[in-house]
Amino acid sequence: MIEFENVSLNWDDRIIFRDLSFSVKPGEKVALVGESGSGKSTLLNLIPGFIPHFRGKIVVDGLILNATNVHAIRQKLAYVPQALQFTVFPTVKSLFFTPFSFVYNRKLKPDRKVVRMLFERFELSTDLLNRSVKEISGGQKQRILLAGALLLKRPVLLLDEPTSALNKEIKQAVADYILGLKDVTVIAATHDEYWMKKSDKILEIKNLHG
Amino acid sequence: MKGAVDIAWWMLASGYLLMFIPLAIFRYYRSGLEKATVWAVIRMTVQLLLVGLYLEYIFKWDSPLINFTWVFVMTIVASYTVIKRTGLRLRMFFVPVLLSTLASIVLIDYYFLGFVIGLKNIFTARYFIPITGMLLGNSLKNVIIALDSFFRRIDDEQITYRWELANGATRSEALLPFMRFALKKAFNPLIATTAIMGLISLPGMMTGQILGGSDPMVAVKYQIMILVVIFSSTSLNVWLTIIFSERVAFDGFDNLRREIFSGHR
Ligand SMILES: Nc1ncnc2c1ncn2[C@@H]1O[C@H](COP(=O)(O)OP(=O)(O)O)[C@@H](O)[C@H]1O
Ligand SMILES: [Mg+2]
Repeated sequence: MIEFENVSLNWDDRIIFRDLSFSVKPGEKVALVGESGSGKSTLLNLIPGFIPHFRGKIVVDGLILNATNVHAIRQKLAYVPQALQFTVFPTVKSLFFTPFSFVYNRKLKPDRKVVRMLFERFELSTDLLNRSVKEISGGQKQRILLAGALLLKRPVLLLDEPTSALNKEIKQAVADYILGLKDVTVIAATHDEYWMKKSDKILEIKNLHG
Repeated sequence: MKGAVDIAWWMLASGYLLMFIPLAIFRYYRSGLEKATVWAVIRMTVQLLLVGLYLEYIFKWDSPLINFTWVFVMTIVASYTVIKRTGLRLRMFFVPVLLSTLASIVLIDYYFLGFVIGLKNIFTARYFIPITGMLLGNSLKNVIIALDSFFRRIDDEQITYRWELANGATRSEALLPFMRFALKKAFNPLIATTAIMGLISLPGMMTGQILGGSDPMVAVKYQIMILVVIFSSTSLNVWLTIIFSERVAFDGFDNLRREIFSGHR
């Protein structure tokens, strides 16, 4: 589903990845682990083409990552970054529903019942939708983004520290749910022991730049 | 009707005494503003005197070509000023900003002078130059705010922008919240001042026209039109500037180029 062939990346003069190669099978659940600053978020950002200056080859579902294919590749993904920011959206509702306003996702727009069910599963109240984005906690924002990503029904999920702001019980519920999705390939940067245990494969990123 | 009383040159000089008030205050509080203030007033004086001199000739010749050239030069200066103030890179943004400014003043001038005022020749110096000057001067601030808040916010909220792209947005879909944000930033103040116009402030142009001997009602009608014209040309300018700038500001993967900010190496 996803292949990295001899991928190298520098930020300025610092080497982040050198000849990194690995592949992820369809439906596989991969936990990206490594110290803080080792390049987990950077690796996730490479896949949707956010860091085009890498060397080597990245292939997603048979498509080589380049300027021509990047849109088709992005359409196979759902991506949840760390839940900072997002304050350009006035309300939680506008944040949550924004992806469903994109032409490509319009048919996926969930009705009220589906939203309520998914929110319940993630222990969120639908009253949150009327709040301002600045007024909700990092953990709430994160679960809202996760819920939205799941509704996009993409074959590949890229998650950056998906449970970092959650307390223990919710952490497990979220991990069980997402890692239990058959046919969905999940690549998640994580420090969460439970998430690692439940994943099929652990990919450790070594700190190359000291 | 005759024009305002001319101000004798020596009286003008005595008017400058008023500047001792701000200078004394700045001095007393050691604000360090004195030098900049003096410099600003000197520049303002020299520039306006030059403009007065220029305009005397431009009005005398009243040649469409010269008038247009004059406006073109003003547009270049305006575009330069806008970009310098935003901290965006001049080399990348000059053409988009210049084109959108030109397009918006040409369109609005054409409609306003040619149709609303009904001039046979819209390049008539007495109308074309001051009106265009007002349009340019008044849209500067808004274009600066809009451009700056648009690109800076995308940079600050890069995570949000990427989140949208990686979840199925086209570039323009992903930019929509930022466009909304920039429009609000740029236009909220203008909407507010428009709404209280005449209550607590008399706009400069109307005041000038009345001093110049116009009937107040004529001055008011011009002022109303000017405010409408400024509003619409500003919106056109802001919108076109952002649209045209998008073409230079993103790479083939729709990522914001970091090199657009002039501080960036
Ligand atoms: N835009 C950038 N420019 C330069 N260096 C960066 C940039 N983004 C990340 N880095 C550097 O790359 C390294 C890896 O960062 P990151 O991928 O965020 O690590 P992790 O997610 O594993 O904590 C860090 O040393 C970080 O400082
Ligand atoms: Mg990280």
